[in-house]
Amino acid sequence: MLLTRKGAAAPSGGRLAGALEGLAPRSMDRRTFLKRSGFAGGAGAFASALPFAMIGRAQAQDAQPATGKIEVRRTVCTHCSVGCAIDAEVQNGVWIGQEPVFDSPINLGAHCAKGAAVREHGHGEHRLRYPMKLAGGKWTRISWDQALNEVSAKLLDIRKAHGPDAAYWIGSSKHNNEQSYLMRKFVSMWGTNNCDHQARICHSTTVAGVANTWGYGAMTNSYNDMRNSKAIFFIGSNAAEAHPVSLLHILHAKENGAKVIVADPRFTRTAAKADQYLRIRSGSDIALIHGMLYHIFKNGWEDKQFIADRVYGMDKVREEAAKWTPDKVQEVTGVAEADLLRAVETMAKNRPSTVVWCMGQTQHTTGNAIVRIMCILQLALGNIGVSGGGANIFRGHDNVQGATDIGPNPDSLPGYYGIAEGSWKHWCKVWGVDFEWMKARFASPAMMGKPGITVSRWIDGVLEKNEAIDQGPNLKAVIFWGHAPNSQSRGKEMVEAMKALDLLVVIDPYPSATAAMAAMVRKDGVYLLPAATQFETSGSVTASNRSIQWREKVIEPVFESRPDHTIMYLLAQKLGFGQELARNLKVTNGEPSPEDMLREINRGTWTIGYTGQSPERLKAHMRNMQVFDPRTLRAKGGVDKETGYSLDGDYFGLPWPCYGNAALKHPGTPNLYDPSMHVMDGGGNFRANFGVVRDGVDLLAGDGSASKGADLQFGYPEFDHVLLKKLGWWNDLTDAEKAAAEGKNWKTDLSGGIQRVVLKNHGCHPFGNARARAVVWNFPDPVPLHREALFSTRADLVEKYPTHDDKKVFWRLPTLFKSVQQKYKDVGKDFPLILTSGRLTEFEGGGEETRSNPWLAELQQENFVEINPKAANDRGIRHWDYVWVKTPTGAQLKVRALVTERVGADTCFIPFHFSGWWMGKDMIDYYPEKAHPIVRGEAVNTATTYGYDAVTMMQETKTTVCQVVKV
Amino acid sequence: MARMKFLCDAERCIECNGCVTACKNEHDVPWGVNRRRVVTLNDGVPGERSVSVACMHCSDAPCIAVCPVDCIYHTEEGVVLHDKDLCIGCGYCFYACPFGAPQFPQAGAFGMRGKMDKCTFCAGGPEVDGSEEEFRKYGRNRLAEGKLPICAEMCATKALLGGDSDVISDIFRKRATMRGGGAQLIGWATAYGRQERAQERKGAGEGGK
Amino acid sequence: MKKSVLIVSAMLAAFGLAACGERPQVNVYQQGKYQGKADTAPYDNPAFGKDKAKWEAAVRARGQGQDEYTRGG
Repeated sequence: MLLTRKGAAAPSGGRLAGALEGLAPRSMDRRTFLKRSGFAGGAGAFASALPFAMIGRAQAQDAQPATGKIEVRRTVCTHCSVGCAIDAEVQNGVWIGQEPVFDSPINLGAHCAKGAAVREHGHGEHRLRYPMKLAGGKWTRISWDQALNEVSAKLLDIRKAHGPDAAYWIGSSKHNNEQSYLMRKFVSMWGTNNCDHQARICHSTTVAGVANTWGYGAMTNSYNDMRNSKAIFFIGSNAAEAHPVSLLHILHAKENGAKVIVADPRFTRTAAKADQYLRIRSGSDIALIHGMLYHIFKNGWEDKQFIADRVYGMDKVREEAAKWTPDKVQEVTGVAEADLLRAVETMAKNRPSTVVWCMGQTQHTTGNAIVRIMCILQLALGNIGVSGGGANIFRGHDNVQGATDIGPNPDSLPGYYGIAEGSWKHWCKVWGVDFEWMKARFASPAMMGKPGITVSRWIDGVLEKNEAIDQGPNLKAVIFWGHAPNSQSRGKEMVEAMKALDLLVVIDPYPSATAAMAAMVRKDGVYLLPAATQFETSGSVTASNRSIQWREKVIEPVFESRPDHTIMYLLAQKLGFGQELARNLKVTNGEPSPEDMLREINRGTWTIGYTGQSPERLKAHMRNMQVFDPRTLRAKGGVDKETGYSLDGDYFGLPWPCYGNAALKHPGTPNLYDPSMHVMDGGGNFRANFGVVRDGVDLLAGDGSASKGADLQFGYPEFDHVLLKKLGWWNDLTDAEKAAAEGKNWKTDLSGGIQRVVLKNHGCHPFGNARARAVVWNFPDPVPLHREALFSTRADLVEKYPTHDDKKVFWRLPTLFKSVQQKYKDVGKDFPLILTSGRLTEFEGGGEETRSNPWLAELQQENFVEINPKAANDRGIRHWDYVWVKTPTGAQLKVRALVTERVGADTCFIPFHFSGWWMGKDMIDYYPEKAHPIVRGEAVNTATTYGYDAVTMMQETKTTVCQVVKV
Repeated sequence: MARMKFLCDAERCIECNGCVTACKNEHDVPWGVNRRRVVTLNDGVPGERSVSVACMHCSDAPCIAVCPVDCIYHTEEGVVLHDKDLCIGCGYCFYACPFGAPQFPQAGAFGMRGKMDKCTFCAGGPEVDGSEEEFRKYGRNRLAEGKLPICAEMCATKALLGGDSDVISDIFRKRATMRGGGAQLIGWATAYGRQERAQERKGAGEGGK
Repeated sequence: MKKSVLIVSAMLAAFGLAACGERPQVNVYQQGKYQGKADTAPYDNPAFGKDKAKWEAAVRARGQGQDEYTRGG
C-alpha cells in the first residue's frame, strides 16, 4: 500500500557521481531513466517502450522499493509565451511526474498538448548527446575540450583574417533572460552587432511599430485582463492553436458576454469559437482596418476626448480612411460591407474592446504598418490604457519577450538602449569594463554604432557580393545558438549559404535540422554542441504579458549537455574575454550564477523597468501564486513564509516596467499607459520619446490626461537631472543619489534616485506624459498604407497598391522591393494560389524539439497542405494524396493534401514546424545518430520567397504564391 | 457517495490535445495506444466542435456485460477497471463499447497483440495501489493520492471535467448559466443550444462567402 | 475496496431507492461475476487511513481546481 509514487533506490554510484560530477559528462538515456525512476521492466520495456504490453513478463531484477524523497520543483513551460507553471516531481534526480499548478494565476493548472508533455525533456531520447563534428562527411563524437578548443581556434582565425563582423551569432528566444542577456554581452565583447534571435522573424515589426506609436513595444495588457474585455478581435492570430491556454481566459470572457471576432484567411480553430468570422485575403489587413476606421469616423464612434487629449495625428488617418470606401475594401480584402460593419459595430459598442494579433500580421513586407493600423484602431476607439482594452499582442516563444527586451538584438543593447556611444558607456559601466577596451573589440567605432545583419538575412550576409554589403567582410562563421534554420524563409538559398561558410556551429539541445541541412551540402567545418534545456538550469522568463517568472532547476543536464550560459562562459574564456564577461558574476564549475546575472540586469535596465524584479522577489511570487487574483493579477495580502516578504499589492511576476530598485517596491505594471491608477499602483500614460512639439503641434499629452495622483496633471517630458532641479525636486534625492544622478536621466541614473523621487514622491511617470502617435513620421508610411505583397496573385492590385522602392543599404544589406514585385507581377498566372503558413498546437517553432517528443509526434505525423475542395478538384487531387507544392523559387515540397474548406479556394496553408525532408527526400541519413526527430517532413520555408519588412527586415512568409500538383 | 464521471464541454474544447499528452505522460502510454482522443466534428467549417473522448465509465457498462472472462469491474466510485492478468485480448469489449475506448497495443515484446488497455480514470487497477506492478500494467493511481484524472486537471480551457459527478455538474451548471445570460437559461432549445447553434452557423457563414 | 463490500453497498443503494414502487436507478452487479483480483478502495492506504470521508473531502477539494470561477469571476 505505497502511497508515494514508486521509485527505485538510486544506483549505488549515483550520489557519489553527483557529488563529483562538476562539469564531468553526465548522461542518461531512457534505460537509465527507467531504472532510476523504478519503472525498468528489463530490456523489453526499453526496446519497445510498451509498458502495458508487457503483462506477464518477469519482474525487473533491479527494481527496489522507493527510498528517494519526491521533491517538487516549480518551473514554467518552455513552449509559448503564455507562461504556464508546472510542478515537476523529481526523485533520485529523475523527473518522474508532472502536476498541474492550480495556484498559478496565469494558467490555473491548465496545459495544452505541449505543456502537458514537457516531462519528456527528462528522457531526451532524440537529443544531441555529446559534442560532435562533421569530419569527412560523417558525424564524429568529440570531447567538450576538443570542441571548445577547435571552435574557438577557428573563430579566432576568422576574426584575425576578416575581423569580428565576419561571425554571425544567432541567439535564442528560448534562452532564459539571464542567458539571452549574457549572449548580448558576449557578442558585444566579441566585437560585433551581428547577432539576432527569433523575435526578428516573429514580432520585430510589432516591437518597432508599437514602440514608435506609444512608447513600449510589448503586449499592453495581459491574457488575464482579457477577462475584462467586452469584445475581442483576433486578426492574424490563431490563439486556440498557438496559445491554447490563453483561451482559458478568452472563453471565460466569452462566457461572461464578450463578443469574439476572428479575421483570418483560414477558418481557424479560434474562428470556430468566435461569434463572427471574416475571411480576408492574406496580407490585406491594412485595407480591412482602414475600412473599419471608415465606418468608425462615419458614425462618430471614435473616442473624441481620448483622441484630443492623448493622440497625435489622427486627422491624417481620417483622411486616408475616408478613401477606403466599402467597395474598395471588398476589392482588396474580400469582405463585404455588411459583415465588416457588423464587426466594427461590435468593437465600437462593446467597449472596452481589445485586439489580438500575431504573425499573421507581422510577417509581411508591410508588417510595420499593419501593426500600427491596429494601434490606430485602438486609439480611435479609446481602448488603450484601459483594462479590458489594449493591444494584446501574443508573443511566440516562451521567452521571446525577454530576449527582445534584454537579449541579442542587432540594433540595441539590453533594455532597448540603442547602440550609440552613450548606450555603450552605460552598459560598460554596469558590466564593469572600460569603454575604450570595448571600443577596441570592434572593427571600428563606426561598426560599433551600426545595426547588425538580421537573422532573416544572414544568408545574404554570406552570399551577397562583398561590394554590396555595408560591412567589411562577408559572413564566414555562423553560430546557431538555439535557433531553427527552417523558420527562416528562402531555405533553398540557405543551403547554398551553409555551403559557403568556413565554420558553422550549432549549440542546441536538438541541433539536428541545421545539422542535417549542413551535412547535406558539406563534408566538414560543422560543430554540434549539446545545450541543456530550461528544465536543466534555473533562471527567469518573461511571458507575453511582461510578467517574469523564476524557473527552478528540475534535473541536471542530461547526457553531456551543458547550460547555455555555461557554454558562453567557457567559450568566452577560450576567446579571451572570459574575465570581462563574468566580472560581476559568481562562477561555479564554469557556470555563471543566474541570480547574479539577474542582479546585473536589475542594475542596468532602467528604460523598461527590469530593475525591481530581484531574484528574491520573483522567487517569493513563485512560492505564493495562490495570493494573486487571476483577473487583475494583483496580490491581495500574503506574506512569503520563507523571507517574510509582503506580497500585498504586487502584480504577479512584477510585469515590466517594475521601476526603481527592489526596495522601492513598485508593484509592476499590469496594463500599460493606464492613467486611472497611480504610478505606484502600476498606472501610467503614453511615453514622451519623440520630442515635445512637431510642426507646431504639441506632442505632450493634454490636460487631465496624467495618471492618477500625479503632481503634474498635464503633459510633461521625460525626467532628467535638469528637470528635477527646475521643479525643485532635486533635494528629494539623498546625497549619494545626487552624486550618481548628476548629469543623468531616468534611464542612466544607476542609483535609481530619479525614478524613486519622480514615482514615489510626486506620482509622476519617469518617461514623461505624451501623446501616442497615429502618424509615425520616421517610418516609410507615416500613415499606414496598403501595399501588395511582392509575390501577389493579383496583378490588378499590384498596379494600384505597389510596394516600396528598393533600398540600397538596409541593415547592412541591399534590399529589394519594387524590382522583385515588378519582375513577378504576373506570377499569378503560373502560381495562382496564395501560400501562407502557421502553427499547429502540437509543435512549436522549427519543431525539432517537439517532433522529437513521442507524445506530441504521434499526433501529427506528416506535413500537409490545406487546400480547398474546389482547388483540389480542379487539380484532380483527393484528400491525403501526396502533392507537390511549387513556388517561384523553383523549390517544391512533397506534402499530403488536406482537402478542407478551412481555407478559401484561392489560398493554401502549410504548417511551418516541419523539417527533415528536402524536396521529397527524407534527410534521415544526414542526422547524427539517434538525434533525428521522430517526425520529419518538408519545411514550408524551403520554398518561401524573397520579401522583407521595410523597417525591421521581418521576412514575408504569410503571403506568397504557389501551385499545387498531384505527385 | 462519490460517483466518478467525465464531462467534456464542447463550447470550450479547442482540440489542443492537452488531455491526450497529459495521459500519455502520466501513464507512459506507448505509441499507438490512445486512452483518450479528441474528436472534431464539422472540421474547418462553421459549427466546428470538438470533444475529448475516453472510457466514460458507464454505470451499466456494456463491456462488463460482454467480457467472456469477466475481467472488468466497477469500483465503488463508479470507475470501470479491469484485470489485465485475466484479459484474453479478444476485443469483445471494443465491440460493445459505444465510445471506442478499449485499446489494443499492437506489438508487445513478442510481436503479439496485447491485452486490452483503456482509461482507468487515473485509478490504476487491481494491483496494490501505487505499486510498480500497478503502474506497469495500468499507469499511475492518482485517485489513491487524492487527485483526479490528469487529463481533466490539465485541460487547457477546463473544458474536460473529471471527478465526482456532483462537483463537476455544479461547475458546468455555473458556466451554462453564465452563457445563457443567467435567468434566460430556460427551455430545452436554449439548454441544448440548437437555435443558438443554428444562428451561429448562419452568422459565421456570412463572412466566409 | 473488496468486492463483497462493493456488492453490499450497491445492493443497499438499490433497496433504498426501490421504495414506493420506484424502479431501481442503480445497476446491481451479480455476485461472482467479476473473476479478477480484488481491488482496494482509493482511501485504503496510509494517507487516508481507510477514512472514506477524508478521501472524499480531498477529492472534492481537488475538483475545485477545475473551476476557474472559484478564483473570482
